[in-house]
Amino acid sequence: MKVIKEAIAGTLESSDLLVKVAPSHKGTREIVIRSEVIKQFGKQIRHAVTDTLDKLSVSDGSIVIEDKGALDCVIRARVQAAVLRACGSQELDWGRLS
Amino acid sequence: MSATGDFYTMQPKDAPQDMGDIGKLLAANDLELDNQVEVFVLCRQQGRIVACAGLDHYTIKCVAIAEDLRGESLSLRLGSEVVKLAAERGQYHLFLYSAPHNLPFFRGWGFYPLVEVPQLVVMMENSPVAIERYCHRLREQHRPGRQIAGIVLNANPFTLGHRYLVEQAAAACDWLHVFVVGEDASSFSYADRFTLVAAGVKNIDNLTLHPGSEYIISRATFPGYFLKEKAIVDHSWAAIDLLLFREYIGPALGITHRYVGTEPFDLVTNAYNADMRRWLQQAASAAPPITVVEVPRASIDGTPISATEVRRLLARRDFTRMRQLVPDTTLQFLERKFSVAASSTQMKGQIA
Repeated sequence: MKVIKEAIAGTLESSDLLVKVAPSHKGTREIVIRSEVIKQFGKQIRHAVTDTLDKLSVSDGSIVIEDKGALDCVIRARVQAAVLRACGSQELDWGRLS
Repeated sequence: MSATGDFYTMQPKDAPQDMGDIGKLLAANDLELDNQVEVFVLCRQQGRIVACAGLDHYTIKCVAIAEDLRGESLSLRLGSEVVKLAAERGQYHLFLYSAPHNLPFFRGWGFYPLVEVPQLVVMMENSPVAIERYCHRLREQHRPGRQIAGIVLNANPFTLGHRYLVEQAAAACDWLHVFVVGEDASSFSYADRFTLVAAGVKNIDNLTLHPGSEYIISRATFPGYFLKEKAIVDHSWAAIDLLLFREYIGPALGITHRYVGTEPFDLVTNAYNADMRRWLQQAASAAPPITVVEVPRASIDGTPISATEVRRLLARRDFTRMRQLVPDTTLQFLERKFSVAASSTQMKGQIA
């Protein structure tokens, strides 16, 4: 999927995260993660994010995440929502996300 | 404590009855109501306004929470609501000002400090990487040399005065970086102002023309600049704009000198020039000082050339006298756009 505009999903509240997606200047995929639990779960959070982006075939775009200790399933859901908005997509092959 | 309460958005003009309550909540937090706020997020509990956050384009202002209700959950809900509201209005890159002691509070909102006027104010943005990415793009325009000059122009519109300033700086330095103020808040649009500057500096070889950005004289860095008619000059805000230039833009391009014209007419710009020496050159900072060079304004028949005067002549369609103040490229543009045949009452209203 192609990121064509800026979009956000999620909140800043505890156990949630805010995902910001924007077109990239360089045509690369740049992921920035800030988390209150980066030391304990940084690797796991990054995996959930990159795996979700891979499944949506997002190969370029800026993804900035402000995590407040969200569970993996929440991270995946928020990343999906932000990407769909940023791609202006109405339809989604849900099977690809499982 | 619970975070329950009704969150809703409100435009000041639609609910004058709420403005008194918001003013009181802000006053209890040593803040003033800012009349540039376009829309508020409010939280009401049992009829009482307990939290507010305002949005002026892409700057968050007037954030307050009733003292008895302070705690993580209400604050983070308020932050989420205002970020969401901004996104709905097409604004994703946001800024805010905070007292230094409230910095941790806004870190919780996903904001990161950019520059600080010690003990007074911190400017923050809602990205941990945006300023670095901006500086990275600037560094690609870095040019070698011992003396590298920078000029920021609003050029509303570009005059022979601007041309003179640019020539002086280009002649005295190895390279000159010119920035055009990017905000669409002047009589001439950013696109038109940029085109006229580009045409006016075309034959100067040691010059790079840069687009404006939120980090250079924008509504976020220097809101007072766009409120000239009210003659409100807020020094702390000029300081923020100048510290951004000194600590990020200057080092990214290796700028050693900032050139500026003397300002006999315009109070805001005049005070800004005075602040320049202080914040670019004298104030303590991790970044090296940038020498401010004030160039006496070019004059015609003893009268300094100013864009203000050009706009005055334009309101009268006095192209003959304008010819003395602007380069041919600007004159041709103005004649094309504002000559009697092309004029409309709407245009007159914009320029007057």
